[in-house]
Amino acid sequence: MKTKLDFPMEIAAIFSRWVRKLVRRPTNLTFSMIQPLIWFLLFTQAFQAVANIPGFQQITGTSSYLTFFSAAVIVQTVLTSALQSGLGMVDDVESGYLDKMRATPVRRSSILLGKVFSDGFRIVMQVSIIIALGYVLGVQVVTGLPGIALILIMAMFFGIAWSGISTFVALTTRNSESTLIISIMFVFPMLFLSTAVMPKQFLAPWVQTFSMYNPVSYVADAVRGLIIRGYNWTLIGQAFLAILVVGAITLTATTMMFRRALAK
Amino acid sequence: MADIIIVSNLVKLYDPDIRAVDDISFTVTQGEVFGFLGPNGAGKSTAIKVLTTLLKKTSGDVKIKGFDVEKDAREIRNIIGYASQGVGVDIDLTGRENIYLQCRFYHIPKDKARQKANDLLGTVGLADVADRLAGTYSGGMKRRLDLATALVSDPEILFLDEPTTGLDPQSRRAIWDHIRALNKNGTTIFLTTQYMEEADQLAHRLCIIDNGKIVAEGEPGKLKGQIGADMIRLVVKGGEDPNIISKALNTVSQIPGVKEVQDCTKGGIDCIEGIVIYGADGSNLVPLIVRSLDSAHVEIDNLVLAKPSLDDVFIKFTGRQMRTDLQKVPPKAGFRRRR
Repeated sequence: MKTKLDFPMEIAAIFSRWVRKLVRRPTNLTFSMIQPLIWFLLFTQAFQAVANIPGFQQITGTSSYLTFFSAAVIVQTVLTSALQSGLGMVDDVESGYLDKMRATPVRRSSILLGKVFSDGFRIVMQVSIIIALGYVLGVQVVTGLPGIALILIMAMFFGIAWSGISTFVALTTRNSESTLIISIMFVFPMLFLSTAVMPKQFLAPWVQTFSMYNPVSYVADAVRGLIIRGYNWTLIGQAFLAILVVGAITLTATTMMFRRALAK
Repeated sequence: MADIIIVSNLVKLYDPDIRAVDDISFTVTQGEVFGFLGPNGAGKSTAIKVLTTLLKKTSGDVKIKGFDVEKDAREIRNIIGYASQGVGVDIDLTGRENIYLQCRFYHIPKDKARQKANDLLGTVGLADVADRLAGTYSGGMKRRLDLATALVSDPEILFLDEPTTGLDPQSRRAIWDHIRALNKNGTTIFLTTQYMEEADQLAHRLCIIDNGKIVAEGEPGKLKGQIGADMIRLVVKGGEDPNIISKALNTVSQIPGVKEVQDCTKGGIDCIEGIVIYGADGSNLVPLIVRSLDSAHVEIDNLVLAKPSLDDVFIKFTGRQMRTDLQKVPPKAGFRRRR
């Protein structure tokens, strides 16, 4: 018997499976946080002097490189966490668990959505830890708790959208090494070719141009705005627009690939 | 009994033109254990994946209990259970959680799912380790858990893809017992295997599949019967003496029912030493051979009766050994020439 309630029930079942896996293997939670943590703790010390460059404070609105950089760490956490999403999918392909699920009446869309929501959940957890750590280190978020909530929402949606990349790669290659190697290319180059790490004015001209087309810039700018200056709805709107575009592309591609995996 | 699975002219091509399943047709009767026997890469898993709605066929027609495998995939998924070749359990979940989750995939309500998990863990003998992570289970335990998860919906048809590959004999026997018990309760079982012994033990009927094609089909006993001959190895005392050998040869070849006699001193297929005798009914031939040799005053040193195995069936239909690791055994390809 199929009822309308089956659909949310299926998604909840898949979601709870992934959350359980997250709890069972804490490495799944820390995996994508190690690098951002190193950045947070070391780079901000090493590059403290960047804040002394004339014009830094006028451009960024803060005299602390740590505060400026915290947005980059948040975005980096989201990007690395998103690349982790495909790995779970590859595991399921390799172990035969995906086939096992697909042989049951559970909807294909529930398998994907349950996973996507759990990815969003994981990203929120990870970014929360980073923000808490930032607070300890002395990063003040001027917009307070509502601003933090908005940052988390943005991080979640951006992470879900970005995780479509690694899930797509995972379903295409069906191999964990390739998934990791290819997905990682979407982390650091995209981060350095954005306004996340340096104020736009400090970037080389061609990087400035690229950063304008890089969705990472818009999310980083919006997050940073919420941390340093306050609510700038233009920035926030642009960020959500960028997320929407990325999400539309990656989730369409992933869904297509997921359905095509049927024919293989 | 009705045909619950009807497969007609099933073809599955992989890009660019690998004919994984190459025009096969067969039917499975409700209530039987049906085996797909073949070596690695024969197309067994591809076929089972098409039947379980996991893979789109290239052409042909597959009906499961009257449902079309592509148009009515959903209805089919409701009545089948499937255990994949890999172990389809989540190693980060406990045995109980694995079964519970599987129940939820079939929309079984929570309380019933809990009950079901308890029952099934007992059935497959995992009650003691129910709350341990499946990752800590042995290979045999994982397979039993996989089997249990395939049973949550009380499937009418159970698909098992190489259920015992890689297991030790004891675990294998445990799985066999479960399969037999399930079948006794009315579950139709479709299984693939690369083990002759497994097909022989479990399957009421089987298809031998090689290079995507069905090369033989029928009951294991009848297939073995098609080999047409039992083999009797005979070593006589004083066999170095050509006179004694020729006397023995003359004697046994006159026994009614003996189809062919080979003198191994002259070399021959199946030869190790002495004489090899082929006949339709080996167990009746043995006393006749003993008596006639006795009256001809030829003393027997050693006499062995070998019934044909499914291995022999495979060789007969494909011209080669099924498992490459057994290739060390002298090739018996000549079996075909003899008849």
